[in-house]
Formats: sequence, C-alpha cells, structure tokens
Amino acid sequence: MVTTKPFLETFDTVHAGEPDWLLQRRRSALARFGELGLPTRRQENWRFTNLRPLEKQEFAPGDSVSVAATAIAPYLVEGAGHRIVLVNGRFDSGLSKLDGLPAGVLLASVKAIVSNDVPGFFLLGPQIFGEGTEEAKQPFLALNTGAALDGFALGIPAGTKIERPIEIVHIADAASPLSVNSRSAILAGEDTKASIIETFIGTGEYWQNAVLRVQVAARAELHHVTIQDHGSEAIHTGSTTIHLAEKSRYNSFNLTVGGRLARQDVYLAMSGADATCAVDGAYLLRGSQEATMATLIDHQAPGCKTREVFKGVVEEQAHGVFQGKIQVRQAAQKTDAHQLNKNLLLGERAIVDTKPELEIFADDVKCSHGATVGDLDEAAMFYLRARGIPEKQARNMLVEAFAADAIDLVEDLRLQQHLRRHLDRWLAGRPS
Amino acid sequence: MLEIKNLHARLKDGREILKGIDLTVNAGEVHAIMGPNGSGKSTLAGVLAGRDGYEITEGSVTYQGKDLLDLSADERAREGVFLAFQYPVEIPGVNNMYFLRAALNAVRRQRGEPELDAGQFLKAVRAKLKLLDIGEDLLQRAVNVGFSGGEKKRNEIFQMAMLEPKLAILDETDSGLDIDALRVVAHGVNNMRSPERAAVMITHYQRLLDYVEPDVVHVLSHGRIVRSGDKSLAAELECKGYAFLDDVA
Amino acid sequence: MTTDTLDVRSLANQAYKYGFVTDIEADEAPPGLDESTVAFISAKKGEPEWLLEWRLKAFRAWLKMTPPDWAKLKIAPIDYQASTYYSAPKKKDGPKSLDEVDPELLATYEKLGIPLGERARLAGIAVDAVFDSVSVATTFRAQLAELGIIFCSFGEAVREHPDLVRQYLGSVVPQGDNFFAALNSAVFSDGSFAYIPPGVHCPMELSTYFRINAANSGQFERTLLIADKGARVSYLEGCTAPQRDENQLHAAVVELVALEDANIKYSTVQNWYPGDAEGRGGIYNFVTKRGACRGANSKISWTQVETGSAITWKYPSCILEGDNSIGEFYSVAITNNLQQADTGTKMIHLGRNTSSTIISKGISAGRGQNTYRGLVKIMPKAQGARNYTQCDSLLIGDKCGAHTVPYIEVRNPSARVEHEATTSKISEDQMFYCLQRGLTSEDALSLIVNGFCKEVLKELPMEFAVEAQKLLAVSLEGSVG
Ligand SMILES: Nc1ncnc2c1ncn2[C@@H]1O[C@H](COP(=O)(O)OP(=O)(O)OP(=O)(O)O)[C@@H](O)[C@H]1O
Ligand SMILES: [Mg+2]
Repeated sequence: MVTTKPFLETFDTVHAGEPDWLLQRRRSALARFGELGLPTRRQENWRFTNLRPLEKQEFAPGDSVSVAATAIAPYLVEGAGHRIVLVNGRFDSGLSKLDGLPAGVLLASVKAIVSNDVPGFFLLGPQIFGEGTEEAKQPFLALNTGAALDGFALGIPAGTKIERPIEIVHIADAASPLSVNSRSAILAGEDTKASIIETFIGTGEYWQNAVLRVQVAARAELHHVTIQDHGSEAIHTGSTTIHLAEKSRYNSFNLTVGGRLARQDVYLAMSGADATCAVDGAYLLRGSQEATMATLIDHQAPGCKTREVFKGVVEEQAHGVFQGKIQVRQAAQKTDAHQLNKNLLLGERAIVDTKPELEIFADDVKCSHGATVGDLDEAAMFYLRARGIPEKQARNMLVEAFAADAIDLVEDLRLQQHLRRHLDRWLAGRPS
Repeated sequence: MLEIKNLHARLKDGREILKGIDLTVNAGEVHAIMGPNGSGKSTLAGVLAGRDGYEITEGSVTYQGKDLLDLSADERAREGVFLAFQYPVEIPGVNNMYFLRAALNAVRRQRGEPELDAGQFLKAVRAKLKLLDIGEDLLQRAVNVGFSGGEKKRNEIFQMAMLEPKLAILDETDSGLDIDALRVVAHGVNNMRSPERAAVMITHYQRLLDYVEPDVVHVLSHGRIVRSGDKSLAAELECKGYAFLDDVA
Repeated sequence: MTTDTLDVRSLANQAYKYGFVTDIEADEAPPGLDESTVAFISAKKGEPEWLLEWRLKAFRAWLKMTPPDWAKLKIAPIDYQASTYYSAPKKKDGPKSLDEVDPELLATYEKLGIPLGERARLAGIAVDAVFDSVSVATTFRAQLAELGIIFCSFGEAVREHPDLVRQYLGSVVPQGDNFFAALNSAVFSDGSFAYIPPGVHCPMELSTYFRINAANSGQFERTLLIADKGARVSYLEGCTAPQRDENQLHAAVVELVALEDANIKYSTVQNWYPGDAEGRGGIYNFVTKRGACRGANSKISWTQVETGSAITWKYPSCILEGDNSIGEFYSVAITNNLQQADTGTKMIHLGRNTSSTIISKGISAGRGQNTYRGLVKIMPKAQGARNYTQCDSLLIGDKCGAHTVPYIEVRNPSARVEHEATTSKISEDQMFYCLQRGLTSEDALSLIVNGFCKEVLKELPMEFAVEAQKLLAVSLEGSVG
C-alpha cells in the first residue's frame, strides 16, 4: 500500500536546504495525499483503472544511483540538440547536455531552480510547485508535490525558435521497489517554437509518478512527444497539465508501450482564443499490461481547434483504456473539436474499455467523436493474402499500418521517425 | 491447369450460391464468364481465391494437380493464382510500394527466386508502370485509398503484371474504365498470354472481348454454367440480353 | 441567419396544450411511505401474500439505497415522505364496458385525443388506459383472447394469471436493481401486462396511455410483457399529463422478455408536463426499462420520443442472452426551457453473434440540458458480437447543453463495435434556404428537426409517427434563435 510514511521518514534529509515555502507546500500536500488515499474504481474517473499493484506494495523514495551512457543510448533521438537525463528522478549532469541553446533559453534541473542556483529564475519554483485546482482531488498529484525531488524546466523567451529537438530522458534503475517522483515544467513564451521529446525507460520494480506543467504563450508553437517505454515491472502514473494562450499551437503525441500498469492523465485548457491543439497517441499493449489514457480538453475561449486521435493495439491478456472528454464552455463558440479512438483487440483475453465523451455548453460548434473496437479488417486481410503475403506478415503489416497512421500525424518529422523506430521495435516483439 | 467439378458453395446463412459448377481451363487458354448480376460470378472467383465466408458443400477444384481448396488464400496466391478484385480493397496506412514488394518477394521465395532489394524492385516497377501507363505517384499512396474507380482497376492489372501469375482471374476489371484504360487493361492481359498461363475474365461487356479474344465463353446463371461456346456467344448475349437464358436454364 | 431576420424568441410560447385537471374524487393513501403504506397498497389491490412479501423486500432494499448521482441532472432533493403513493378513481363496482366508464374520464381522454372506444376500434388499437394508477378500460380483450393473447391491467394479471406474473416479475429488473426500480417495486399501483403465446403474431398494436392526475401523486406503473417462442408484438406507450405547479414523481418499471425467435417492438412517446418556461412544475420521470432477449434469434427494439418531463432519467436496455439476438434503441430526446434529460441505453452482449444498433438524436433548446449516456458491453462469450452506435446532438440557442457519454467495454476480440457522435448547431444554410422559400422560422425549424430525427421517427408505428412529429414542433416552440 502506498502511504506517506516513507516520504515523511526521509523528509528532513531529502529536502534539506529547500526554501520554507516549498517545505510547507510539501507537508500540506503529503497530508492531503494521506487524506485522499489511492483512487478507487468507484470514482467515475478511475472506474477502468486497476490500481491493485500500488495497493500491494510499498515504494520507498528512490536512491540516487548512476547509470551508464549505454543504458540510454538506444533511446536517444537522432539529431536532438539538447538533453536532460533524470536518473531515478534526479538530474544527472554527466549524461545531460545543456550547451548550445539560443541565448536566454532556460533548460535546467528543477532542483537547481528551487534552490536558487539558476540566477534570475527564483520565481519559477513557486510556479512549478504551485497548487493547481486538481491537486485537491488527484492524490498522485498531491504526492508528487510532497515528494518530487527534481525534474526538468524549459523556459523559452519570447520570439525564440529552437531548431533541434530537446530531449528529456527519465530513466529508473531499481534494485528494490522504489518510487520516482518527477516534477517538470515547460514555459514557451510568445512567438516561440520548439520541439521536445520525453522518454521514460528503466529496469526493475519501480513506480514513476511524473507531473508536468506546460504553458504555451500567445502565438507560440510547441511540439511535444512522450514515449513511455518503461521496463515490464514498472508502474507509471503521469499527469500533464497544459494551458494554451491565444493563437498558440500545441501538438502532442503520447506513445505508451511499457510498464505493467500505466495511467496518463492529460488536462489541456484552451484558455486563449483561436488556439489549436493536437492531442494524439497510441498504446500498444501485450502480456498482462494495463494502460489508461485519460484526457480532458477544456475549451474555454472561442475559435479553438482540437484534434484528438488515439489508437490502441491490445494483444494477449492486456487491457487498454481510453477516457477522453471534450468539454466546450459557453464562451467557447466556434469550437471545432474532433476526437477519434480506434482499437484493435487482438487477444482472446484482451480487453478494451473506451469512454469518449462530449460535454458541450456552446451552440455554434462542430464537435464529434468516434470510437471503434474490433479485429483487423477482414477484407484487407484477404486482399493481402490473395497477393501471396503469408498470414502473420499480413497481420503485422496491418497492425503496423494501423499504428503508423497515428504516428504519421506527428508534424516534426524527426520525432515521427523516432516514434516509428519504437513502433518497429514493438512489432518485432509481436507474438506469432 | 484448372479443373472445377460439381462445385457447390453456400454462404454462412445457408444460402446456396454455386450449385454445381463444372469448368476446365487449360494452360494457354483465356475463358470469359458472363452472367446476370447476382448469378454467382464473384462468388466463384472468391471461392477460387480462398476468400472466407463460403462453405464448400460438394465438388472439387484441382489446380496444377493440387487440391486448390486445401490451400490458404496466400498459398494459392504464391502458387500463381491471382484475383483482380471487382472491388479492390482500400488499406489505409499500407504504402502501395511496400505492399507490392512484400507480395512480390513472397511469390519469388515460393518460386525459389531471390528476393528483390529496393533498387531492383524499383527498376522492375518502373518498367511495368510504363507498359501500363500508370503514374508513379499512385504507388506512393496507401493501397487503393482515394484511388478513383479506374485507378483501382489499373492498379490491379499492374499488380498482376508484377506478380506474373499462372492463373489470373479478373472480376469485372473492365467495368468503369474509359476506353483508354480499357486498352491498357487489355494490353496487360494480352501481354500475359502465353502457353504456360491461363486467364478467366468475368465481364458484362463484349467490348473487352474485342480486345482480348477468349477461347471459350461461359454463361453463369443462378449458380450454374448454363451455356458455353465460342466468342460468338458473347455477341449473342450482347444483343439479346440474358432473357433468352430462361429458355435454356 | 441573423437575429434581425429572425427574432425567434419573440415568437409566442405556446402554453402546454394538455393542461387541465379532471375533478374526480380520489381514493388516496395518506402521504408518506413506510411498510404500512406498502401493505395498504397491496391490500387495496387484494394481492396475494407472495406479492406483498415481494413488495416489502423491495421496500427494505430501497431503504438502504441512495438516489443515483451519476447522471448529469440537477435535481432538488425529493422528499419521498411528502408524496402520496396510491390514488385511484372511486370504484362503482368497476366498469364492464366503455359505457360504464366515468364520462369525465372519457372526456379527459377525448381532450388528449386518445383513440378509445369507437375511435380505438377505427384506429385498430387496443387501449389499456391507465388513469392515475388504476387501469380503467381495456378494449379488444375478446379479440385478443381468441388468439390466446393476454392483455390486461397488471392488477388483473396478478389475479388471473398469477403463475405467469410470478415467473417473470422482477426477472429482468430485480427489486433492488436501482433506487427508483426498488421504489417502484415496493409501491407500484398498476400497469399493463401482456403475454403473447408461442407462434402468435399479435394482429394489432397494443397500447397504453398513462396520465398523471391527482396532485402530488407519484405514479408507479409496472409493465410486464412476455413474447413466448416465435411470438411477435408491437407495443405503444404514450403519455400526456395535466399541468401542475408542483413537481410530480414518476418512477415506472418496464420489463420485456423475448423467448426464442420472439420479436418485441416497444415504442414510447413521452410528453409529460415539462414545467413552465421558468422551470416551475413538471414531471420527474425516473424510468427503468429493460428487455431480455432470452432465446436465440430473438429481438427487442425500443423506440422513444422524449419531449416532456422536467427531468428524464431513462435507459431502455437490452440484455442479449440468446445467440443471434438483436437489440435496438432509437431515441429522440428534446429539452427546451429548463428541461433536463439524461437518457440512453445499455446493450449487454452475452450470446454469440448478438448485434445491437443505437441511434440517438438529442435536441437542446432554451436552457435545456440533454445527455446521451450509453453502455455497450461485449462479454467474453459473445463471439462475433456487433454494435453500431450513432449519436447526434443539435443545439438551438447558446444557453443549452448537449452531452454524450458512451461507455464501450469489449471483452471479446471477435467483436466489432463502432460509435460515432456529432454535435452541431442547427444549420444556418438550411434555415435560410427554408426561409427563402417562404417557410416561417417555426416551420423551418420543425422541418429541419424532423429531418434530423428521421431515422428514429421512421421506426415508430404510423399512428405514432404523426403525433410525434407534431410533438417535436410543439416542444420547440419559441426556441428558434
Ligand atoms: N458475403 C456475402 N453476404 C451476403 N450475400 C452474399 C455474399 N456474397 C455473395 N452474396 C450473394 O450471393 C449472390 C451472388 O453474388 P455474386 O457477387 O457472386 O454475384 P455476381 O454474379 O458477381 O454479380 P455482379 O454481376 O453484380 O457482380 C448475390 O445474391 C449476393 O448478394
Ligand atoms: Mg460480381
């Protein structure tokens, strides 16, 4: 059972030297987590997510360890310019690469920021650890506030364009069960442009609880790819909150292939008019993996455009869940929002649950959602086989096409190719 | 090459569509099958190619001495049976070139020929494209997705030209084609004609037969071959329609 | 379309057409609810012991339950002790024919346009009219009886066909199924019962009209319909209610059972009083409707047109147990002014090759809130199951809301489930086109809305389709914007 005990026990040593405001935030957040406890399936938002693995096990705060450069090498993006590596949730300066950024761009460890080691950014700390409205209800967020030691912070000053992708590697190495809480933020200033890719990997039994806050200022463009490719014993809970200002563009893709239990929550607020977002992704699951993708896209301002496409391939005894809500407030007239969730259910004992949801309070809108669950298209299978392609290869081709169709939505071609490599790796491991 | 004897096939719902087909196609021959809508032509083609959803209740199909019905759809294709679909299937996300190369290499492996690498493949593709007057851009798109009706049919013939089957079954490949495309298709079929190969063309129109002269013409009605003859039978059908079949059927 | 060319809010808001109160001396239970109320109702109806026990079991279950809170409905707390749970028109030995029915009742039905008596015969409809809780007249009984069809009030079925009632009552909706079903099971007053014997195709539409009349009388009908092997039946249910200022509670239960090869079509036009433009009054409609396709190749089809009630909480569902069984749900729901509807269906696929279709059309106007909530569940044994769902929402005016909450749970890889939903505003182009051709804005709206609902309306039996179209128009009056 996850409790606050191990976090309270190590509190004074782990957080020594942190400013008072933060210590206070942490203590009240931990108390909050204590009150809330783990979510239960009786809560509507958690009805499909099976948190038993977290109930059965205690996860001690992660120790600081170091990993070899070869451990991360296979996961690095070709052509990425800048890198932060977090090992068990702590910044690893040896593996990171912070040079060569345009003037004024901040790419730093969060710990450095809250301990005032990064001149000029002392106000950023409170922002990163600030209390969002969700924290009162979301226990994992509260725990993260209480326990997160480090993370990455990216700040892009107005008008700056960063050419090469920025890469964040979260790697965990657990000899015994441990928890990794990371807390990160991206602040993209007005008229900026950047691409960022986050990769989660690791070995052993661990629980990664990642919180990320993203703010995209007016007219800024941010491309954001997240790859969750944790080890097979890992548990992942992620909470990403995004705020989009007017005329900004946010394109994201979440690929979930790893972990035995994963849950990613995305809350995206379109708070400025005429913003555009693409919240896309794919979950590719096999064995007895369980993964939930839960998104809420909250249209608050008029004229925003949303595209959400999630594709799931669920094999063997795996369980894939999609919960996507598109909300349109009364002020958000002329919203154009479309959501699609397609699932391939390929195992006799595999399960897919999907709950696409529209909640609309404005009238001049165009909104739609669609969801499908099924096997591969029979007509396509026959067509391939009628051309001599053996069954297994034909199935592979169709599964690949199905998933690639989502990946092809990624606009940054470097990131798209990188995702394709992950897909290929996953396909290579398909059971026959 | 192909010998169909008393073939009966029914749908999953129990409805019998083929009610005793007898048909022999020898190497080097081209047969045409005509017949009213819903008479079972596509069903026959599907049964021969190994499409799911039919139950063979009686009869046999021998192809090059083998029991064809014993083979899976892809095995049949690798043995040289090619079906040009009446309604070619759209496969989003699967690139046409990639698809064709996978198919060609599967067939080549079967024939004991070395697989083609990307370069060799491209060369082979270009040669055939030219022959069939097909733009290369079609190949960069997903299989049949967004193709016009005529483009789909051309793509079928192009695949046939690439895969060089022994027995080609063309299900209304001439339907919906403009006159130039029809020539291209006919050209594709004629090019394949050789003493080792055979073709079965399902069609509603005399005009294809003007370009590809069949050795035998059959009329399929209500799941049976009710008439067989030379190409003059097609001409007769063209002017009299199928009504006269009622006299014979 | 601009507001200049079409100031629609100024168009007169036609008052509820069916607002009148019949003056009848009621035989009421005192307000309040405890075991003695349940016993009073049961005694009043002369029920056998087992049924009283059944009711009490439901009542005890209900006491432990809380009202569901998951629907997107804002409901002021309901004081269940303030309602009256039994109200029957005074009995003068019971009517033996239509001539003996209280003329005032008949006059009420006439105002509502219910085809009873001669008109019913002409319309070919057998009507079992429920007036406040008790069934008062049934026509065509003899004709149906010749075919072995039983169609009578629920109370009568308990007396005349206790074995059938006992076998099937609660077999689809158990007493403790949900808060409102439990309440109904404890205090149901009357309702309809139909049994179609094996192989019989019911030659006419069976029909029941419900009315709520006495002030503060909750109405708790119970309908039980059984189609035996190979039987076919189409059942119509319609309702209009007189205008009242206080909210009235309505919690019905409908159970359908289709055995092998049986086919049940159940159509509803629900036009309870929706409350006034300020949201005063109106019916609270909490209904549990469920059908079980028990036998292979059976089919249950629900069609509903929901235009009334202040609150609608209703999910006509199908449990597809039999192999190859089919479930259908066709729905139109309109909310105008301050109406709230949370409605949809559940399709539970248990048998092989079961298939279901869901077509839902939601129309929100005024400050109305309209939610489609649906569950499609494919269980592990449901090899080859299929579902297709299409939910469309139309918004008229900028203060209303339209919500779509589907749940899709698939546990069999051979299943194929497709769900599509759209939400959009009424098309300005279409409106303009109609106006330009000389239609009034109300007519144009009615035309477009009827077109929007066509797929559902065409599922209604003829007699209902016309009424339903009129209702759509009436419900949307004053809402074009
Ligand atoms: N999978 C299927 N499901 C239902 N019916 C089918 C199926 N396949 C074939 N049929 C039916 O079988 C009959 C024969 O169909 P088929 O496609 O073989 O006709 P055809 O001769 O090719 O007609 P056309 O000239 O129109 O192409 C038709 O009645 C058709 O509807
Ligand atoms: Mg055909």
